[in-house]
Amino acid sequence: MNQDGAKRWVAVVGNPNAGKSTLFNALTGLRQRVGNYPGVTVEKRTGTVFTLYGDALELIDLPGMYSLSPRSPDEKIAWQVLHGESKGVPRPDAVLCVVDASNLERNLFLVTQVMELGLPVLVALNMVDMAEAKGIHLRPQELSQKLGVPFIPTQAHRGKGLVELRAALGQSLHRPGPRQWTMPPPLAAAVGQIAAAWRESFPAELTAEGKALELLAGSNVGPEGARKLAAGWRERFRKEAYDWSAAVIHARYEYVRNVLGSTGGLGEARIATWTDRIDSIVLHPVAGWGVLVGMMMTLFISIFSIASYPMEWIDAGFSWTGLFLEQRMPAGVLRELLVNGVVAGVGGVVIFLPQILILFFFLGLLEDSGYLARAAFLLDRVMHRVGLSGKSFIPLLSSYACAIPGIMATRTVEDPKDRLTTILIAPLMSCSARIPVYTTLIAAAIPAALVPIWGKAAAFLGLYILGTGSAFLLAWFFRKKMLGGGSPPLILELPPYRSPAIRSVALRMWERAIIFLKRAGTVILALSILLWFVSSFPVRSDDPTEKLAGSYAGQLGHLLEPVIRPLGFDWRIGIGLVGSLAAREVFVSTMSIVYHVGGEEAGLVAAMQGAHWPNGDPIYTPLTCLSLLVFYVYALQCLSTVAVAKRETGGWGWPTFMMLYMTGLAYGAAWLVQIVGRALGFS
Amino acid sequence: MKSSSNSSCGHALNLSDVGAGAEVRVSRLECAPTTCQRLREMGFCENALVTKIRGGADLVCWVCGTRVALSARLAKQILVEHVDGRS
Repeated sequence: MNQDGAKRWVAVVGNPNAGKSTLFNALTGLRQRVGNYPGVTVEKRTGTVFTLYGDALELIDLPGMYSLSPRSPDEKIAWQVLHGESKGVPRPDAVLCVVDASNLERNLFLVTQVMELGLPVLVALNMVDMAEAKGIHLRPQELSQKLGVPFIPTQAHRGKGLVELRAALGQSLHRPGPRQWTMPPPLAAAVGQIAAAWRESFPAELTAEGKALELLAGSNVGPEGARKLAAGWRERFRKEAYDWSAAVIHARYEYVRNVLGSTGGLGEARIATWTDRIDSIVLHPVAGWGVLVGMMMTLFISIFSIASYPMEWIDAGFSWTGLFLEQRMPAGVLRELLVNGVVAGVGGVVIFLPQILILFFFLGLLEDSGYLARAAFLLDRVMHRVGLSGKSFIPLLSSYACAIPGIMATRTVEDPKDRLTTILIAPLMSCSARIPVYTTLIAAAIPAALVPIWGKAAAFLGLYILGTGSAFLLAWFFRKKMLGGGSPPLILELPPYRSPAIRSVALRMWERAIIFLKRAGTVILALSILLWFVSSFPVRSDDPTEKLAGSYAGQLGHLLEPVIRPLGFDWRIGIGLVGSLAAREVFVSTMSIVYHVGGEEAGLVAAMQGAHWPNGDPIYTPLTCLSLLVFYVYALQCLSTVAVAKRETGGWGWPTFMMLYMTGLAYGAAWLVQIVGRALGFS
Repeated sequence: MKSSSNSSCGHALNLSDVGAGAEVRVSRLECAPTTCQRLREMGFCENALVTKIRGGADLVCWVCGTRVALSARLAKQILVEHVDGRS
């Protein structure tokens, strides 16, 4: 606590791959909260740490960054928090810089910038074991003396150095002294003048030089006199072709190299390591692709096979709950609401939790081990052909589980047009919510007796390929033809391979589970109740078919039938489409209600196969099932994705475009399937 | 420091041209200003020593104690000279 009783906030900053999040997890454990910064979907991760003296501190884990010159949305948020300009987040009382001891040259570059923020700074010298292994013999005491801020050696993944760090956090930290790196003469004159003008208006300003550099970089926040001076110097530098920002970077690196040279922080010449040996396979133009395909196959097989067991248990749990309520409660609206609305609706979504957790487990392992960056590197060439960079690969991979974390992951993509394109195509990657729809319709289209199981698996894979292939084609159109401009060049750090910190991965899975279950308990619950209401009222009848046909949903289905008839769909499928507008997985439970078959998949498939048009023709012919499958490959039936896209793009324009193009594509493609299918003699 | 865009090019070697395993010194960056700044922040400053680890369409370099992957077209915009003065 502060002297005034308020909480003390400490921002945790560092380069990507410096072990920042591992250290944050080690310090805070389960005392973490994940939310969003106001107005954007960049995750805000905070947690409580107790100092060695028992005081509680709030840590805020900022996104990884290479410098305080923000480019990606991630880095902008970090910058705003450090400057006290992020709404809903107090300006930190101190900064904990996490640096990779085996790569201090670049990590200390950021520290020199953080030291100019006017905040007390503490440095966690992380991964000292890896530094020793590289022949870097650091002298932390000397580093502390040279830079004027405490350096605490840590090994976050082994829990070492945490006691010392908690002790240091409990002591009163001091602001770093004045700038130590030497500013080159032309720039020093400019910064001196601008800073002096700033101090005329704000004599107590401790970071006037930093403010002067920001004004030179184009900021227009500050006293008028200082702004005018900055504009004049900027123009003069432009005329003289003097690249002042390059000069600042050079000067900082020069200073860092001098400090490291005298404190043992510079390593010996590069020697080949295990990472190089693994890279010789993983980055090989042929073998590398084999490894990538193998990894992806393992991921998908795990999602579909291992997850099936816990999914069955969850399914059984919800079925038991529904049955229990049906047996114990008197018949009536409340029982219907609980059984058909709440239990069936929420259960139909919670069942996907194991798949999502498995995906995040694998993503966590791949990211922590250092492989994910290699995959992005390999895919850069492919992505480049459609106008994107390899950095878009990770958001697209995440979208196979759910487009929401996929769209959130685009925050690491620096180029705004790349980021927008990735957001627009992310929902085309077949997410886990499509799995029950695909499974049900493939079973209805292909009688089990006629086609072996691998045939259904191939059909499944074909739908994934259709979605992914279309996403890449559309990316090419959006990025190259619609948005225009060149695609950004790839600059990507490839961290050394490390064994993943299982505790850290488990914590991330825990967070995901909480977020997912909260969503199921709020948005999905509300939608389920709404869906139950519109499919149960205003007509009250004991005959489920009559009740549904007369319900608001049934009326809407009939209204829709002329529009969807060319796709081979009847009014009941229309109800399914409307019901699943908010969440596509709701299609299966809606159809179960429509065909009043309870929650069993086999019963629903049989009911669908037995459904007929008034003239006696079957509705669910293989051609109609294919149309419906293609429709679901393309349709944006997910309100949460729309909401996230709205927040991420800052308005309704792009989400509206996303809805329109995906719905249009779904309708057109399903129609095309019908036309081509009929021309080939299918019915 | 003179702006990179106004410097003359001559017959300078670029990072894409040198073979894997070569150690070179960055002499000039000829990319967009924001890309130049990111490159410098990641260690590709003028005069910095860079070892090219892997060649090919996209390449991997060792700079400032880390491996950094670059696209080939960006590597073409990083002008370098051999450490022993060969060009």
